[in-house]
Amino acid sequence: MSTDDRSLLARAATGDADALEILMTRYSARVYRLAYGITRSTSDAEEVVQDVFLQLVYKGAGFEGRAALGSWIYRITTNVSLNKRRGKRRELETSLDELLPTYLPDGHRAGDRAFLLADWSRTPEGELLSGESRRILEAAIDRLPEHYRAVLVLKDVEELSNEEVAQIVGDTVAAVKTRLHRARMALREQLTRHLGAGA
Amino acid sequence: MICRDAIDVLADYLDGTMPRDLAAELERHLADCAPCRAYLATYRKTHELGAAAGRVEMPEEMRARLHRFLIGRLRAV
Repeated sequence: MSTDDRSLLARAATGDADALEILMTRYSARVYRLAYGITRSTSDAEEVVQDVFLQLVYKGAGFEGRAALGSWIYRITTNVSLNKRRGKRRELETSLDELLPTYLPDGHRAGDRAFLLADWSRTPEGELLSGESRRILEAAIDRLPEHYRAVLVLKDVEELSNEEVAQIVGDTVAAVKTRLHRARMALREQLTRHLGAGA
Repeated sequence: MICRDAIDVLADYLDGTMPRDLAAELERHLADCAPCRAYLATYRKTHELGAAAGRVEMPEEMRARLHRFLIGRLRAV
């Protein structure tokens, strides 16, 4: 952690509003992105951001600072978001197994040839991120288990390394890589079921 | 390399963290396998779409509300 961050935390702990404002300017956008990405609820994400910054004020001065403040904030945000999700909306989350590729006994892909060859990747991004395609994508993200969403956001949105993500979520690099790959494959499958025929 | 092995390593391939010899093996498979080429192209695009969809911004009124709440709590410190 930089001296600057450390001194801001120390000042915020004594009630210094300017220090807190600088910390908010510096970190609130990423806290919100991660909180929303895991909880998928604006109201839950707002509560998470509140909790995270309260923890910064009340506990930040005692932070030892072996890691960058950003990583510590990601870790708190992930934990608070996962706690917030506990017991909520699980009915939306489905097993990923039916969304993963299937194979013939010889290891080649199984399935309808036209579906296997469907390539919608050249569809303009604006089109993919609006209308029915956007709705399919958002619903597919909603259906991911929350631990998968945490990894997906940290890696693909926040662009952290597998090692950094593993440290934040408290898991092994291998587990993070597996979860990330399965999450992407599940999203890809649902988009292909929607877009494949027209590709 | 067969399709199962190729798809297993796509994340490392996109990350650029795959050993060069394994990447070359994957690329040889992709050159011969149209379904895996389609899979890689759509997998890569899915990664880009997921990232774009996840870049949400905090609504301005929420930012103002948080600011008021936190500054209020800070005064109680």
